[in-house]
Amino acid sequence: MDPNKIKSALADITAERDPTLKSLKMASLCTALWAERGVELVVVGGSAIEILTDGAYTSGDLDLCYTNQAALPLRERQEVMGLLGAKGGPRNWEVAGMFVDVLGAAESFARTPYRRIQGPYGEVSLMKPEDLLVERVLVSFYPEKSETARKCAKSFIAVILRGGIVVDWNEVRRLANRSEYRNLRECEELIKEVADELKIESPLHSDSH
Amino acid sequence: MNSKSKAPCIPIPIEGPISWEDWLKGRRFRRESSQLVAPGVIRRKRGSSDRRLKKLFNGERGLPFTPTEKL
Repeated sequence: MDPNKIKSALADITAERDPTLKSLKMASLCTALWAERGVELVVVGGSAIEILTDGAYTSGDLDLCYTNQAALPLRERQEVMGLLGAKGGPRNWEVAGMFVDVLGAAESFARTPYRRIQGPYGEVSLMKPEDLLVERVLVSFYPEKSETARKCAKSFIAVILRGGIVVDWNEVRRLANRSEYRNLRECEELIKEVADELKIESPLHSDSH
Repeated sequence: MNSKSKAPCIPIPIEGPISWEDWLKGRRFRRESSQLVAPGVIRRKRGSSDRRLKKLFNGERGLPFTPTEKL
């Protein structure tokens, strides 16, 4: 990426006061720069949920993982993030008034594609909502009940049920039955709870196959 | 939240990218949908990154969220 374009992007991101926009713009810039070195980044966890829902959930850090086998050597990570004037590293950096964490390889079991947004500095990949949903329900119940995770899961489900995000419900069911999660019952219950609040039918009935 | 809002629903699709403009246009609908069942700011009160976050964000864990009506 042209140094002037990087400079201009950094000025934009630094000045951005909307946390969700700031995070998405930063993801767009980091994705473009790491892609030039052969590494595909994906936004994961609460950062991805925030971009998908605008649910007022995320904190001031952006969580990224890489989706392919390639991982940047530590030296190259420091060099690429150095282009952004980042401080710290080699797995998390402070840059443009926020934190960026590159956590390692992405964990995904869904067969659906990563969702994509044409960001201002390049395309951004987001973790698959099917994975995010089943994972967030899991965290709501285990290792102990978490009210914050439950609210996040409900908010995410509401956006999906109202049509703001398209998901493959067969994949949600399949994932929730996998040994990694084993939480189909909890998924069904929470999705039904949200569907009831919205006065719509749950697409994940226990008898719908 | 304004229950009479006519914010457009612009789905984030399974296949293919959503444009920047469409993602922006769909923000309010998504926020309103999420707030129907989980109103207010639902950001975690505590986390493992508290020290660095609170240092950078003046005692908070991140920047304040843009109000729904401004999305």
